[in-house]
Amino acid sequence: MRQRTRKTGTPLAIELPVQGGGPAASPLGAGTIKKKKKGFLHELIHNRVLFLMLLPTLLFFLVNSYFPMVGVYYAFTQFDFNSGLFDAPFVGFKNFEFLWKSGTLVKLTLNTIGYNLAFILLGNVLAIVCAILLSELRVKWFKKLTQSIMFLPYFVSFVILSVIVYNVFNYDSGFLNTLLARFGAGPVDVYNKPLVWIFLIILFYLWKNLGYSMVIYLAAITGISDEYYEAAKIDGAHIFQRIWYITVPMLKSTFVVLLLFSLGSIMKGQFDLFYQLIGNNGVLYNTTDILDTYVFRSLKVTFDIGMATAAGLYQSLFGFILIMTVNYIIRKINDDYALF
Amino acid sequence: MTKKAGRRSLVTLTTAALALSLLAGCGGNNNGGNSANGANSGEGGNAGTPAATESASTAAPAETGIDTSKKVELQFYMLGDAPKDLPIIQDEINKMAQEELNATVKFNYTSWTDWDQKYKLLLSSGQAIDLIFTADWTQYQSYAKRGAFLAIDDLLPKAAPELQKFVPESMWEDVKVDGKIYTVPATYKEYVTNGFVYREDLRKKYNLPVPKDLASYEAYMDGIVANEPDLMPMSLNSDIGNNLHYIYTELNKMVGALPYGMGVKYESPTTVYSYWGSDEQKEELKTMKRWADKGFIPKNVLNIKDTMQDPITSGKAASMFGDNPTRYNDMKMKISTTHPEWELAYSPFGLTTGYATPVHPIHNGFAIPKSSKNPERALAFYEKLVLDKRYNLLTQYGIEGKNYTVENGYYKLVGTSTSNGFSREGMNGWAWRNPEYMLFDQGFDGVKAIFDELDKIQKPDLFLGFAEDYSSYQAEKAVLEQVEKQYLFPLQAGLVEDIDKGLDTFLQKAKQAGLEKIQAEWTKQWNAYVAEKGIK
Repeated sequence: MRQRTRKTGTPLAIELPVQGGGPAASPLGAGTIKKKKKGFLHELIHNRVLFLMLLPTLLFFLVNSYFPMVGVYYAFTQFDFNSGLFDAPFVGFKNFEFLWKSGTLVKLTLNTIGYNLAFILLGNVLAIVCAILLSELRVKWFKKLTQSIMFLPYFVSFVILSVIVYNVFNYDSGFLNTLLARFGAGPVDVYNKPLVWIFLIILFYLWKNLGYSMVIYLAAITGISDEYYEAAKIDGAHIFQRIWYITVPMLKSTFVVLLLFSLGSIMKGQFDLFYQLIGNNGVLYNTTDILDTYVFRSLKVTFDIGMATAAGLYQSLFGFILIMTVNYIIRKINDDYALF
Repeated sequence: MTKKAGRRSLVTLTTAALALSLLAGCGGNNNGGNSANGANSGEGGNAGTPAATESASTAAPAETGIDTSKKVELQFYMLGDAPKDLPIIQDEINKMAQEELNATVKFNYTSWTDWDQKYKLLLSSGQAIDLIFTADWTQYQSYAKRGAFLAIDDLLPKAAPELQKFVPESMWEDVKVDGKIYTVPATYKEYVTNGFVYREDLRKKYNLPVPKDLASYEAYMDGIVANEPDLMPMSLNSDIGNNLHYIYTELNKMVGALPYGMGVKYESPTTVYSYWGSDEQKEELKTMKRWADKGFIPKNVLNIKDTMQDPITSGKAASMFGDNPTRYNDMKMKISTTHPEWELAYSPFGLTTGYATPVHPIHNGFAIPKSSKNPERALAFYEKLVLDKRYNLLTQYGIEGKNYTVENGYYKLVGTSTSNGFSREGMNGWAWRNPEYMLFDQGFDGVKAIFDELDKIQKPDLFLGFAEDYSSYQAEKAVLEQVEKQYLFPLQAGLVEDIDKGLDTFLQKAKQAGLEKIQAEWTKQWNAYVAEKGIK
């Protein structure tokens, strides 16, 4: 139903009066905007119960997300113990200086986006593959067992992960080097090799999160009606064809929604992961420093609310622009998949 | 039809709200704690003004004291972890404080995990706090300079006249920042200068030299590596700056732990030079490289998160480049109960450098933040804590008979430190130590002996009184600290193959971050400080 109405491609504003059931018979033209307003008011009254149910959510976001946005002003002021928010001296973009002064902003942004893209794409693709494989399994206990085993790492905290990683890779007594020595090979100084960590970080991210995102796709697959598969079977489609022509296309919308959600936080990275695994090891920063860790480290030493807010604002703004752009592109390609 | 439209706009609305919340969430995180700031700092200001105006009238003898008619609860903040028996102690204290000051106090602790961030948040969020610990290592000087604390010059004669007399005038003078007193200094004299800590039993066993300077220390570690390959020759963790670099410079007679690669020697405090890039620094880096090559510094030192002392007490490491006498003694005591066959020894740097600086009054103190609602009562309470023997003993050692006993004038813990809910100085009450009431463990005689030795060569600390004002180069400072971490720490840990090239990269990045501006400004401020204090 929803698909059909939307596929006409006409803008929302024009459609509304028609659907609202109002006096919509008038032809399109200058009156559209006026009607849209009337339509919304009409709808507000018409669906008051639904709107009332929405109210708590709206309030929640208003209080927790919109009101605090006033604090964005801190990004442009010099924090002072003697004054409040609005009488603090205004300093313009001075608080943003520390971000680009180092010349690392570009590197940090690229690192952040690069890692997140790898996380999002690899994570989703692998999750889809695993979900499909699992869903095709017929032995129930094995399916459940595999699923649980894959899900378990999700509960391992990054602090514990960092201890595990340290014990595997530490030079003098790590598992890896002990093993290598057993086979007569020389030790590897992993903590001094920045490039290796690109793979390690992505690997550990996937290890930890694969099970979780797989469950989402597994649920989506369960939602696909068996009738499709039965019909395909009767038509003689073999298993790969069934997967490729039925399961994968049906997962597309889930994928796009998850993609859009994760894109919004693309500038934030996985702070815990990077901070715990890399910590204070400056040798690895060139390939492993992301905005979050950089900002955290800088402001841990020089704690300044103005600078912290400035960094947060930069991240938010970048994320906002990104999600708007991607959503726009997706809407252009296929209206149905866009978030809004 | 209507149902459909309703559902769709519902979907649109929720998704829009969700999406926007992603944006808002970030802003919110940073500001959640600040909204209260405006209101509170306003009140802090108000609380300050009556005190200031009243002080005009206290020029005449102010025997009237303070107004205690209203009952208040004081918020007391200390770093570290609270002792198990704190609630009992707090109740005891409150019984007395209620009667004498019409006040109760709530002792809050930050725990040692991320204490520095919590401390900063406590001060800048504007939360109402009446007393908070200050030290040079919590950046007392810079907080005072930026106005985080209340100036107590006028409050002292009124709220704590006894305390004002008790603390020597010279100490009040020393803690002044821009001519105002912002903290009550501790009067206990101690040394927190460093010294080599090493396993004496191993030294004897393999006939190694006594670590006295860099060369003999290196020879000692050579011997350890040769004879005890499983033992770490020195205990280290990722905090290279504090545990290698600053200890190295202390041995080389720097005036203190100077930031931004500044160099000022104790003998010539008026000469400021750039340590970074100097031959002196190259020598340091070469030494560290050699130590790393010899295996003194572990290859993944930057990822070690242990404390410095644990590897010593657990027998994993044979020595420590530097630690202070009191902490050395704690380790020694710990070992004497767990591994009596091990022996720990200490040789203070003062014996090599020829001087030792007793702790500066700024090193331990308590300040009243601007956000305090009851500054007078807070100060009056603090006076009790220091000068009233009942308060002092209770908060330093716990309840006599239950937590400790006194034998031949020595402090003795009841049971063990794990079974006892309040060990010696369990509340981390370093700042309100009163030398007249202090009780020492018998084992502390060792520290006293070291102190006596250092007393003979004591010279005043020139550096700690310096209050740096970095507001004009805050951005540069933040960037430089990151550059240091990324390019200098690996050098200082001896991890970089080519020292000259590594140093060049670091210096170039540092210049880019604005090193010259920082150094110029710092030098200006230092020169002003030296001139003001008349240091030559």
